[in-house]
Amino acid sequence: MKKRFLTTVAGIALMSGAAFADYPTKDIQGIIQWGAGGSTDTVMRSISPHVEEELGSDIILTNKTGGVGAIALKYVNAKKADGYTLLMGAENPQMYKVLGLSDTDYNDMVAINILARGTPIFVAQKDAPYNNMQELIDYAKANPGKVKFGSTGKGGLTSIVMAMLESQVDLDYTSIPYNGDGPALTALQGGAIDVMPSVLGATVEHLKAGRMKALGVVDVEKSKLLPGVAPITDTLPGMKSYLPWGPFFGVFVKKGTPEEAVEKLQAAFHKAAFSPDFIDLMEKRGFTILNVSGEEADMFLSGYRSTSSWLVHEAGFSKRSPEEFNIPKP
Amino acid sequence: MDAFSYFAISWLSPELLGLTALGTFLGIYVGAIPGLSVTMAVSILISFTFSWDVNYALCLMVGVFMGGVYGGSRTAILLNIPGAPSAIATALDGYPLAKKGLAGEAIGLSTIMSVVGGFVGIFVLSIAAPSISEFALTFQPRDYMMLGVLGIMLVGSLSGGSLAKGIFAGAFGLLIGTVGLDPMTAEERFTFGIVELWDGINPVAVMIGLFGISEALHQLHHMNKAVVKQKITRIIPKWMDVKKYLPLSLQSSFIGVIVGALPGTGGDIAALMAYDHAKRITKKPEVEFGKGAKEGLIAPEAANNAAVGGAYIPMLTLGIPGDAVTAVFIGALFIHGLNPGPLLMVEQPHMFWFTVGNLTLANIFVLIFGLTGIKLFSKIVECPKGILIPLIFLLSVVGAYAINNSVIDIWWMLAFGVFGYFMRQYGFPVGPVILGVILSSLTDENWRRAILSERGSLVDLFSNLLTSPLSVVLLFTIIFILFSQSPIWTRWIKPKLLRSKAN
Amino acid sequence: MPRTVYRRPGERVFCFLLVVFSVYLFWQAYGISGFSELSSPGAFPLATSATMLLAACVVFVNTLKLPEAEGVRFFYHCFPPIVGIVMALILIFAIMLESLGFILSSFFFLFVGIQFLYQKSVLTTLSITVLSLVVVYIIFRLVFQVVLPEGIVPEREILAAIEQFWRG
Repeated sequence: MKKRFLTTVAGIALMSGAAFADYPTKDIQGIIQWGAGGSTDTVMRSISPHVEEELGSDIILTNKTGGVGAIALKYVNAKKADGYTLLMGAENPQMYKVLGLSDTDYNDMVAINILARGTPIFVAQKDAPYNNMQELIDYAKANPGKVKFGSTGKGGLTSIVMAMLESQVDLDYTSIPYNGDGPALTALQGGAIDVMPSVLGATVEHLKAGRMKALGVVDVEKSKLLPGVAPITDTLPGMKSYLPWGPFFGVFVKKGTPEEAVEKLQAAFHKAAFSPDFIDLMEKRGFTILNVSGEEADMFLSGYRSTSSWLVHEAGFSKRSPEEFNIPKP
Repeated sequence: MDAFSYFAISWLSPELLGLTALGTFLGIYVGAIPGLSVTMAVSILISFTFSWDVNYALCLMVGVFMGGVYGGSRTAILLNIPGAPSAIATALDGYPLAKKGLAGEAIGLSTIMSVVGGFVGIFVLSIAAPSISEFALTFQPRDYMMLGVLGIMLVGSLSGGSLAKGIFAGAFGLLIGTVGLDPMTAEERFTFGIVELWDGINPVAVMIGLFGISEALHQLHHMNKAVVKQKITRIIPKWMDVKKYLPLSLQSSFIGVIVGALPGTGGDIAALMAYDHAKRITKKPEVEFGKGAKEGLIAPEAANNAAVGGAYIPMLTLGIPGDAVTAVFIGALFIHGLNPGPLLMVEQPHMFWFTVGNLTLANIFVLIFGLTGIKLFSKIVECPKGILIPLIFLLSVVGAYAINNSVIDIWWMLAFGVFGYFMRQYGFPVGPVILGVILSSLTDENWRRAILSERGSLVDLFSNLLTSPLSVVLLFTIIFILFSQSPIWTRWIKPKLLRSKAN
Repeated sequence: MPRTVYRRPGERVFCFLLVVFSVYLFWQAYGISGFSELSSPGAFPLATSATMLLAACVVFVNTLKLPEAEGVRFFYHCFPPIVGIVMALILIFAIMLESLGFILSSFFFLFVGIQFLYQKSVLTTLSITVLSLVVVYIIFRLVFQVVLPEGIVPEREILAAIEQFWRG
């Protein structure tokens, strides 16, 4: 008993050193950028148990909200680069630089896995007098200022999709901001707004029940979940240069994390993302599974950043130019 | 018949029954400890119950929800620290009761009335869910704004002696609520360039500071005074009392269900509105409000538990969360492979009645666990102040940290604790501050949405307001309350009316 | 809550500070978007700070009218030394929390706090402190997985080692 105790103490002493070959030797903390009940939270909580199984170590999930996710990012980067603190987030940090929110984004971290990507979609009130994108555009032109678009604030998904749309057509509409797409979609059903660019996952159940209608999928092809809805590029072929584009979920660690830890984490997440119930969940919610890491992930991140940053910059609501950060034009 | 068999699922299986009981028991403690929220507990349970069958997971979570909402009243009554924002109104009259040595009776009464509220919520959920959720959807931004204004008018009943001091406190609270990045335009408001302020100041940190810390600091004045001995002879309230307060608790419960069912408001606002309602309809309270009136304890407790059933209404029928906890429930259903949405009742017909049955069961456990162990709890107040006060501080610090795992919340809590201490010293009420914080974004955002919808035209706003029946009702309620409380009415018009009646 | 029929010492200063504070906030609110549209982000803060200012002025004027309370001293009745000392103690606790870690800083805080306020033997204080710390740690860290600041104590390593130890 005494001997075992001594080895335990010795073990603690050793662990503080750099024995990364047996990573992980203690609990890992996963910092979720968004609050409980949000889609990032749901995705991360559903993959973590599978990762825990692969790693043989617990992941303690902690929601740390604030500053459009910047506070969680800052927190993880302030911790030791030892692979015991993971950042579990959504797409937002890729806009931090141009929106002046932070000088760090995912490109300054190590991507463990980009799990999945969402597809944006235009939805409208169920009894709106238009049924597809073309009819919406015609109606909005005939009734300037009358169509009320829901939005989720500058830099949010809706603002970028609207910037894409407005790069193609001139529209005069009224924008009503909401605190997230949940409340906005509720308002859409209550008639407070008419149209809303949202993500497929958040709307699919309401669409199936006929409580709202889909006008167009913001993608180059149709979605499997909604075979009857045309992609927006049918109406506006010019949108092709931006698409496919969509919000994503990813797991990151601080730069400088030992190679062994990064590799183990990447392998564990890669395997976990193949588990059937995770795939099932993502498909039902309308997300496209990416499950990429390494170079592929970096390319995806850079591509997303270029498209979004320049769109926002050209739409005139960036605080700083993407050029300042050497973000190439898409 | 199907409905009944689904209803009974969790009653008949010993495992499900046990899990519901366990959940409720845990929930009471989660609710009672400030900083530990039901939302947080339920999301931890998602990971914990990941590999379980969905019914097992739900039983545990429903128990935590029901128990947690009730549990908030415990610390509110015993220590003046509301365990959650929905128990703020409970502290206003509950804590004075405990100071008089009536903690046991207060907890007993609040338990019974919470359970009554819970049953009303469940009952309304089970008979009228679809029509209420459709009704809740018809609330437009202007209606939410008016609900906010209606709430802000509670400042009048929370002010105590000086209305000017109350108005100052309320306006200050509303201002605190606006701190951070404006959710609509991302404009910085009172952030002074500090990133940690972008998400605003957490209402729970403000609450723990203003109520818990400032009260504990105030207690330091009376270190030599002996602690109040608690009378624990009576725990289960007199039948007479229950009967007397039943109408009030039923009315409060209905306020709770409706406010709970609205997607933009929850149990905290419901409880405060019920408190105000109680104060307005109670003509001659035995004890003054704010000094230990039982009506002031009953109304918020019935309302916040009724709001649980209310929150489930839009969630089960439309897949729209009624509050933060039901939002997490929606996530949990997704993870377990169900599709919460408007089709849930079609695709998973058992879900609705299973939940109703389970909520009923959890509510019964609230009654059982709530009434046992009161003696032990009451003893907390009898604990020597020299030990209790440092412990309250420790718990407040840890609780503030737990809200969002950040130290900044501890600083806010302490700052508001000290400020609250001086407010108390100079006769400023602290209730309106927290009321303001809770109602701030509701009023601000919906006011702006309402005016944006009319493209900035006040004329259009009012013409639309007067053509919608719902808006008209809300507007007239506001006007009525405003006038019936204002000095013009009470001093001049009312006496004249009474005189003319007498003639 | 003491009802003010008389003016308590410090009340005038406090109310005056509130007026100054409100003016400052009003100015800050004006800085958000000035007097522009009704739907601007600054409209609501401007309205609330104006209300605060107005109410603070009314309160201040009312306070001036009140007669001074006799025999009430600020440092005895309103802000006794014990309150100041405890405030300082909590402040030190909050500052040390992140660098020392939860376990050490709250141990010191509880120990000093209880010893100061309860004034019983060191052993009694020590056992109450340890007992309450253990309970709080179990509830928050182990049951509800709130990762409290670890500071200089390698908590996670110790927990992992204990787990190893039990597994043998």
